[in-house]
Amino acid sequence: MKLDTRTLRIYLPAVIAIVFLALLPVIGVPPAWFLYLFLFFIYVAMANMWNLLAGYSGLISLCQPAFIGLAGYTLVVFTWNGLPIYLGIIAGAVIAGIFALIISIPVFRLRGIYFAIGTLIVPEALRIIFFLWRPVGGQLHGAGAGYMIKGLSGITMNEIYWMALIIGIVSIILMHFILRSKFGLGLAAIRDCDTSAACSGVHVFRLKLTSFIIAAVVTGIAGAVFFIYQAYIEPSSTFNIRWTMILILATVIGGIGIEEGPIVGSIIVVILHFLLSRYAGWSLLIQGSLLVIIMLLAPHGIMGYIRQKKAFQLVRQLFTGGKPAQRTG
Amino acid sequence: MHDIATPLIMGILLGGLYALIALGLSLVFGVMKLINVAHGDLVILGSYFAFFAMTVIGIDPIISLVIGMPVFFLLGFVIQKYLMSHSFGMSLEAPLIIAFGLSLIFQNFNQLMWTPMSRGLTTSYALNSFAIAGVRIPLAYTLDFIAAIIVMIALSVFLHKTYLGRAIIAASQNRKAAQLMGINTAFIFALTFAIAGATAAVAGVFLGMTFPFTPTSGIGFLIIAFGVIIIGGMGSMIGTFIGGMVLGLAQTLGGYFFGPAAQMLIAYIIVLVVLSIRPQGIFGR
Repeated sequence: MKLDTRTLRIYLPAVIAIVFLALLPVIGVPPAWFLYLFLFFIYVAMANMWNLLAGYSGLISLCQPAFIGLAGYTLVVFTWNGLPIYLGIIAGAVIAGIFALIISIPVFRLRGIYFAIGTLIVPEALRIIFFLWRPVGGQLHGAGAGYMIKGLSGITMNEIYWMALIIGIVSIILMHFILRSKFGLGLAAIRDCDTSAACSGVHVFRLKLTSFIIAAVVTGIAGAVFFIYQAYIEPSSTFNIRWTMILILATVIGGIGIEEGPIVGSIIVVILHFLLSRYAGWSLLIQGSLLVIIMLLAPHGIMGYIRQKKAFQLVRQLFTGGKPAQRTG
Repeated sequence: MHDIATPLIMGILLGGLYALIALGLSLVFGVMKLINVAHGDLVILGSYFAFFAMTVIGIDPIISLVIGMPVFFLLGFVIQKYLMSHSFGMSLEAPLIIAFGLSLIFQNFNQLMWTPMSRGLTTSYALNSFAIAGVRIPLAYTLDFIAAIIVMIALSVFLHKTYLGRAIIAASQNRKAAQLMGINTAFIFALTFAIAGATAAVAGVFLGMTFPFTPTSGIGFLIIAFGVIIIGGMGSMIGTFIGGMVLGLAQTLGGYFFGPAAQMLIAYIIVLVVLSIRPQGIFGR
């Protein structure tokens, strides 16, 4: 890549921001901020992947909790057998990817709304399986296969933070390159009209499957990192529709099918998470209402709204060196 | 109890309940091509409504439907007219996401009003059972089956014999053509959702008499209802009934062979298998 001033203007602020975020624990920030940022990175990674599926590949997947949970349980199996935690995260990602490949056999025969329901079954079925089956022995924590995650003593809070940071940033970079590649263009063509995409030589099935597996792997890693932070896992909160809700909410608030959407949306979701913690009983009601209201009033989310504004175009020109704005994706 | 006749008969009777739950989902899907993911929660809301009527006002759940059905009819009408209708033109995922939001709202509402505890519509007669040829059959299951037949016949007569019913069928076959024939499709859509709401109220009452329910029970029943219409195909009342029986039998026989904890799992696996073999449904067109 030629390092001209334009590239520099785009990438330099991003690099500075990443370095700043990475140094935060060393500089010393209040512990509460740790949690906010940690959750933000985890949500960004997962929401980016949901955006890749729903916003770009036309796959409204409701089975993300399955990838999160399977990666978490793989981590448990690894750490309980005395294997290192990083190996457990990688294995979790691999298992999530393989699982995506397996369930693609039934669910990829379905289109649109059928796909959504087909994928909705998967985490529900897994929850029952993990209520009945305990992958490793040991003391029971909570209902069904509830485990503490072992081998965490060597892991500091800072390391967990950096893991989350890495997966969050990787997901953003991944989206950046996917959307500018031939693969991303193919996905956009599929989303707009899969019949005409297929006619133009786009391999619809392979592209959709690839993005499904990528999403599963990254979501799995983010899930595993979350469980390292949480230090325990149990089926009913793991294979829970609340995960799906968070991802949809983050993507829809920010702007579905817009690259920056999940990032902006995740910020809002994290803020909501802490604002609503005092009204825990009401939070689902409020978030559900937000989902409905935003979908009706601003279907393209915050970023979709901002993109139409003049001021945004000006800022964009400042960064891209006067090149007229174009809509990606 | 060590007799396969009991789970067989109970499965068939349970099929009536599942067909009843699936009816509203099938109707909305048939007419608006929308899978209303909030349908399961709407049914559970119906169970809680009857629970409220039973515990607070002190009326029988089945009699409470005299109030419940109009309330849910209105609720369905309002949801379609003021929320769903605006989302249809937007994108494929917009109505689905709104339905998902509604599902969360219902879940949380049920939890706020009635706590996450497991409830049941335990009337004096719901736990009764009677024996036919040595097989004990719970009365609640029999009532499910009778209610399903009554609702299905009533709906069938309404759809085929009245002007509004025929207008609904016309709109489901071809929206544009129906509009050109002078049918107000926006009203017909709201009416369809309203009828689906009323059937959800009925399904909720009989579900509550058969099973205990919690605020999050809706998703499981949504999946079952979806399985019913996948197996039974769209727009076929007989198909829906057969679909219900397949899943009812899957559940009772699954429980008989693999223990009660595996009941739902067997039903889910059957839905996934049917989806992967014939996504358009076994009796589908």
